[in-house]
Amino acid sequence: MHARWLIPIGVGAAQAAHVAHATQYMTVEQAQRAAFPQATTFEMTRADLHALALDAPAGWSPRIWQARNGNQLLGWFFADAVIGKSEAIDYALALDANGSVIALEVLQYRESHGSEVRLAPWRKQFVGKTIRDPVALNQDIKNISGATLSCRHLTEGVQRLLKLHAHALLTAPA
Amino acid sequence: MQRAHFTIAILAIGSMSAVNAHADDAALHAEIDALRAEIAALKAEVRHIEEEHGTGNVTPASAPAPASVSSAPTPQTATAAATTLWGYGEMNYNHPTARAADAQADLRRAVIGFSHAFDDATHVYGELEWEHAVASAEDAGETEVEQLYVEHALAPDYGVRAGLMLVPLGLLNEHHEPTQYYGVERNFVETAIIPSTWREGGVAIYGNTDFGLSWNAGIGTGPDLGKWDPASDEGRQSPLGSIHQELQLARARDPSLFAALNWSAVPGLNVGGGAFTGKIGQGADFAGKDARLLLGELHARWQTGPFDFSALYARGTISDTQALNLTFSGEPTPVPKAFWGGYAQGAWRALAWNESNLSPFVRYEQFNTGAAYATQPLGLDTPALPTEKVWTAGINYYLNPNVVFKIDYQDFNRDDVALGYGNRFNLGLGYQF
Repeated sequence: MHARWLIPIGVGAAQAAHVAHATQYMTVEQAQRAAFPQATTFEMTRADLHALALDAPAGWSPRIWQARNGNQLLGWFFADAVIGKSEAIDYALALDANGSVIALEVLQYRESHGSEVRLAPWRKQFVGKTIRDPVALNQDIKNISGATLSCRHLTEGVQRLLKLHAHALLTAPA
Repeated sequence: MQRAHFTIAILAIGSMSAVNAHADDAALHAEIDALRAEIAALKAEVRHIEEEHGTGNVTPASAPAPASVSSAPTPQTATAAATTLWGYGEMNYNHPTARAADAQADLRRAVIGFSHAFDDATHVYGELEWEHAVASAEDAGETEVEQLYVEHALAPDYGVRAGLMLVPLGLLNEHHEPTQYYGVERNFVETAIIPSTWREGGVAIYGNTDFGLSWNAGIGTGPDLGKWDPASDEGRQSPLGSIHQELQLARARDPSLFAALNWSAVPGLNVGGGAFTGKIGQGADFAGKDARLLLGELHARWQTGPFDFSALYARGTISDTQALNLTFSGEPTPVPKAFWGGYAQGAWRALAWNESNLSPFVRYEQFNTGAAYATQPLGLDTPALPTEKVWTAGINYYLNPNVVFKIDYQDFNRDDVALGYGNRFNLGLGYQF
């Protein structure tokens, strides 16, 4: 008789799973494995973001991991979010041990307009970029017509993470 | 975080089965209260575990306070800031060189847009617009709902929309903010032939593919030929602009169909096209009851380094207008059988510093809103209108990507005072946030 109590809970859980699935391209774990197939551990780490003047939006708090194979540092992995037009785009950036981009992945995109940033050819433009590159839209990163805001904000996000890496992580004790 | 919720749900389900042992309602309520407390405690525990996990091997002192996280990549925080506002506006000044007395300054439009996320996959988008500063019974301004639709993602790469939506034709109609185009005024082709900002009520499906194709197709309302005013110049200015309905008590007997494809697999390049068709007599018993509209367009845009090139061609036809036009004999503006336009444009970001840049551009367009008319008996044929050709050259000065000052000069091959065509000099200010 009390079984009916279970139904709304089950439906709610299923609905939540569906909703996340409907906008999620990749999980953090999938993106980590894709970028660092050789890694044995991903060790979460922190940087003192407040000490950096990176022109970041309030509340900016990327999650940072060191990708390791045993004692060897393979690179860095960041999970961050930027606003597209009005909604957050969750994305992940992988850098090799020298700070060069291995991959940019869009994890979750919630609006339909501008979702072309998920296209592989656009994201591939970032591969190999370092702190020494401009990483600026319409300079070394080409735009997608109709998705300008998402392109611009994602490009700014990557540039910010490259600065974060160069200023706060390169010299951090491994 | 999703996983955490799931865990809570499963734990809750497990605990719930224990409830079966109790018979009376009071005990049941007490049990539910206890469960609520338990769930709250579990939530706190999960949060605690996540924070610990997040702080890793650094002292908590250097970690930013979780409370200040507004753009963190968790569904919960995204829904917390579920309602957002945006907007854009433009003010224009037009100065016809041959008729200085017709110079005009206008607050062309002020727009407030909003979106609300019901959850990660379901949103409502709306855009409210005021044109010409003041709207009242005695004034020329208009207040309008320009878009209002609900969008639901069914999968990461496709979804469905319903409501008042922008028709996905051309480069400008869906992206009409003043920072998105060169020149003070919107180009003529995407005003006279594709009547931007063109919207219809209906249902659409949309999506994109891994190989760079975005698609959008729908069914909805269409123009109403019964609104054609043969005594007015409006039909000559923009055939579809004069009979669009904008979901204002729209006559909706005949559904229209639209579809658009855009390919952008090569960064910087966009190639696409779209079509819109429907019967536009809307079931009314009049001479134009069988008329069908077909409008198609093709476009390309290539942004490379400091250069931005685009081109577009659009052509429309309206069938079965012969009998209707016969009833308009002697009137200045019959319904065209064909209308078309095309443009090519090049812009160059000549100077860029900090957030600012100066981008000169030049655009050449040709268009004809009455390229052909249905043949009439007894020598009553309407001659085609001459094709208008316009050169526009000017500069967009972006103070930052969201604020633009514009200046340009437009050269018309043929003056038409009624439609405001004649060489002119324009100034504009636009913003977007």
